[in-house]
Amino acid sequence: MALFPLTSNFEGDFVLQLVPVDTEHTMDEVAAAAAVHSVGRRVRDRPGHILRVRRHGGTEFLPRTMKVAEAGFKPTETVDIIWQAA
Amino acid sequence: MAVLNRMDWYDLARSTNWTPKYVTEDELFPPALSGEFGLPLSAWEHYDEPYKQTYPEYVKVQREKDAGAYSVKAALERSRIFENADPGWKSVMKAHYGAIARGEYAAASAEARMMRFSKAPGMRNMATLGCMDEIRHGQMQLYFPHEHVSKDRQMDWAFKAYDTNEWAMIAARHFFDDIMMTRDAISVSIMLTFSFETGFTNMQFLGLAADAAEAGDHTFANLISSIQTDESRHAQIGGPALKVLIENGHKAEAQKRVDIAVWGAWKLFSVLTGPIMDYYTPLEHRKQSFKEFMEEWIVAQFERALTDMGLDLPWYWDIFLKDISQTHHGMHLGSYFWRPTLWWNPAAGVTPDERAWLEEKYPGWNDTWGQCWDVFIDNVVDGNMAMTYPETLPYVCNMCQLPILGVPGKGWDVKDYPLEYNGRLYHFGSEVDRWVFQQEPERYAGHLSIVDRFLAGMIQPMDLGGALQYMGLAPGEIGDDAHNYAWAEVYRALRETRKAS
Repeated sequence: MALFPLTSNFEGDFVLQLVPVDTEHTMDEVAAAAAVHSVGRRVRDRPGHILRVRRHGGTEFLPRTMKVAEAGFKPTETVDIIWQAA
Repeated sequence: MAVLNRMDWYDLARSTNWTPKYVTEDELFPPALSGEFGLPLSAWEHYDEPYKQTYPEYVKVQREKDAGAYSVKAALERSRIFENADPGWKSVMKAHYGAIARGEYAAASAEARMMRFSKAPGMRNMATLGCMDEIRHGQMQLYFPHEHVSKDRQMDWAFKAYDTNEWAMIAARHFFDDIMMTRDAISVSIMLTFSFETGFTNMQFLGLAADAAEAGDHTFANLISSIQTDESRHAQIGGPALKVLIENGHKAEAQKRVDIAVWGAWKLFSVLTGPIMDYYTPLEHRKQSFKEFMEEWIVAQFERALTDMGLDLPWYWDIFLKDISQTHHGMHLGSYFWRPTLWWNPAAGVTPDERAWLEEKYPGWNDTWGQCWDVFIDNVVDGNMAMTYPETLPYVCNMCQLPILGVPGKGWDVKDYPLEYNGRLYHFGSEVDRWVFQQEPERYAGHLSIVDRFLAGMIQPMDLGGALQYMGLAPGEIGDDAHNYAWAEVYRALRETRKAS
């Protein structure tokens, strides 16, 4: 359990944002933490979609249950938060 | 006694180089301050300034300029222009004075470095006049806003902005420290005068003078026109220096300095001037879009200046040409969304009519930037104001110190340009910002961005209140919507009409 800073690049938004998460958080929890700062503020919610996390510029989503500590992120590394049809 | 014509004696009188006997040339002109190009005094004697002016001429002309600007101010002091001005226009003045006024004094120091340490006699003469120009600009741009301080507390930022850690000021200081406060005399001439002043100061001052006159603010229009006449003279200090460097086999070093400074200037103007021209200035007073202005006054003019000089266009020119349609929309949305962190009240500039103008000038605006604004506007109309404010920091670039942003909505294209250096992960807003860092990493590596400072625990408490305190924004100074959201009424009415039908 430790605070861990990530940088969120949220699909549809215009700016990277600092998102503090916890090393025990799953990728779903990372996506939810990032959504707080984009969805409903500058990005419309997309019913019927879930949010997935991938390394910035990557093509593969990280497993939804993977923990931050297991992902091997560097502090402040940028992650893409992408809408996926549920 | 007959007086010689200026050109009969000017060249001789300003040929003030001599051969030092008691010290070495390097002691008289230390390379760190005079420029480490290995060129002797004799090479710099070929420096030929295109704009020649003597001290008596300078004093006479400057006196007339001052008399003009100060008399307009005195005549209009009781006109209540400030009280009656559109709030968007007041924001333009506040942003301009805060970002510029104290920087003029800093520029005087940079001119003084050229005045003393340049090996080119002609440059020393021009920089002497340039130094006095900058002192005049500092004095005027502190004196003119002072009459408004008692009416509006944000006007105090004309005086204090440079002493704060407000994020835009960190960005401005980072840029000016890089191009003019920590460079040798020759680099200053290239980076400050040729790159920044020829290219971009023209735009800030010419564009704003036109907008000020349109807005009926003749005091401000006269002030900045008066300043611009000085800029157009001392901006010519760098050109002949570039010529000397190129003739002596130093084109690559010259080009690199131009490329670094032009990019930094562009980023700063994308946040300072872009929002002003395309969003704050009332629609009926807009002459050109920011992009049109950039294309006419910067792109065309700068391409010509570079080619005439024998330099190449910066390697990133295609990136730059694409960015002038995009970046400032993000800078506006970002500065507006994080508006409590500004010392002025930004105008949203997104009524249906304004959006139609934006769509015409920037096809696709509604499908990209407009998508973010749609959500924002719904929140305002619904009274859901909490969601119109941020709860975290935008990530800022470790070079320009401005938010890392891109195109939102249907054209989503936002990228980070990271770099790991000595175990620290840096983030950049563009390939160019990262390239600048890579040219001289040790020059920049130790700087902490506002986000780095937050993560290092330097901002306490770690919330908006702590951030505002860190930035020096006192209650009564923090920014909010320029028109108190009155512009949203039209959307409220549209919604009612839709419901009724």
